[in-house]
Amino acid sequence: MHFKLFMFVRGYVAVDIRGNKIEAFMNAAIDSGCHIWHMNRTSPTSVRVFTDLNSFFRFKSILRQTGCTMHVHSRLGLPFLLNKMEARLFFTMGLVLFILGIYVLSQLVWRVDVEGNERISYDEIMTVAEQQGIHPFQWKFKLQEPEVLSRAFTDALPGAAWVGVEVKGTRVRIQVVEQTSPEPKPLMNPRHLVSNVDAVVTDIFVERGRPMVKPHMKVKKGDILVSGITGSEENKHVVVAEGKVRGLVWHIYNIQAPLSHQHKVYTGQSKVRQYFVIGNRALQLTGYGKLPFAASQSDSKRKTIQWRDYVLPIGWIREEIREVRIDKEDIAIKDAKVIGLTQARTDIVMKSGDNARIHDEKILHEKIEGGKVYMKVLFEVEQEISTELLIIQGE
Amino acid sequence: MRRLRKSIRNLAVTIMDLPQDLLFDMPRITMIGNVQITIENHRGLDLFSDQLLRLRFEGGALEIAGENLVIHNILKNEVYIEGTIQRVEYIKK
Repeated sequence: MHFKLFMFVRGYVAVDIRGNKIEAFMNAAIDSGCHIWHMNRTSPTSVRVFTDLNSFFRFKSILRQTGCTMHVHSRLGLPFLLNKMEARLFFTMGLVLFILGIYVLSQLVWRVDVEGNERISYDEIMTVAEQQGIHPFQWKFKLQEPEVLSRAFTDALPGAAWVGVEVKGTRVRIQVVEQTSPEPKPLMNPRHLVSNVDAVVTDIFVERGRPMVKPHMKVKKGDILVSGITGSEENKHVVVAEGKVRGLVWHIYNIQAPLSHQHKVYTGQSKVRQYFVIGNRALQLTGYGKLPFAASQSDSKRKTIQWRDYVLPIGWIREEIREVRIDKEDIAIKDAKVIGLTQARTDIVMKSGDNARIHDEKILHEKIEGGKVYMKVLFEVEQEISTELLIIQGE
Repeated sequence: MRRLRKSIRNLAVTIMDLPQDLLFDMPRITMIGNVQITIENHRGLDLFSDQLLRLRFEGGALEIAGENLVIHNILKNEVYIEGTIQRVEYIKK
């Protein structure tokens, strides 16, 4: 049997055999059942062999028979190691204490982490944890099973849907999944839906309440569209009217559209000024002299020396001044009208609430005066016309 | 008597197709490249140095030449040698 671990436990020796008849010694030793391994020649008259302790004690008589001598080179394995350790008692004790210390410290809870809580406060969770015996410097073996702890947490924290407790090394992780309850509906007073504008009803959809109008009916501002009072005269019932009423509304819009357009053009001429900055003061270094441009636009870039988040108060500014020419462009009357109408349409749709749609438009009047086109346009817009009106009870 | 035994053995080998080392005490040599060699059925060590190794057999000897030869393990009839093996020679007595 030649298992390294087994041999280590039993102990073995490295022996130098010296003499002229080493082969004869070897044969005799093997014949008598000695266990020998890793044999190599170290000099013409000596061989180093490894052998176990039983065989080693049998060597003596064989050596005498073959006229060889023996010298123990090294003692290896656990028995010899223990001998050595006995000699260095305090070192050994220290080693054992160290291993023991590490083991004991690894049996403690060092950190408690809480994850996933938003509405439930950290302190609230830690109070429950304390009740369950989870706190730093607690013995791990004193803690209950994670499933039991998890159930205890879930019971103690009403806002939590599930709480997971996990012991990972010296860390306890408490993972909280909070309940998500739907947002409560705002409480509403009983109300009617009334028209907020003069219109022709196109569509009515009632969720709650009694409809008072039909499509194609003309309504005035303030007319009740959906009544919050349902039931018969004797058996009245007041509810919160809900629904959607759409109608066609007339808007008259005055448009002004200019007949010329100005825009800036870079001429390609530019001048650069460099500044050195200390704190919030800048020292101009280059680009002195009057600006040769009638109109210009400047554009500056600041560079500072910084390392990560630390910014040094020293920097550099490069300002580039570009010459600008203002070009004037004439717009044809036809185009100016189109631009003006487009702007008017988007403006109206924006102002008329969600889902507003222009149904029809008609130019009532137009004139050109002082480089501008003036127009009066009628827009027919289909839009939401209802607004709330509270029912004051006891009236 | 001895002759008879030998002829019976011969017969067994030829008829039953048995490997010869089992019946004739012949060495069985297994080599792995030129780095390992295992020899079974040896009859003792004749010579051992790190360049030359001689093993006895029934009616002969085996010489192994190489470099850094080390007997990794030795048992009564089995030896396992490591090193750089250059030559293996069978010497008949």
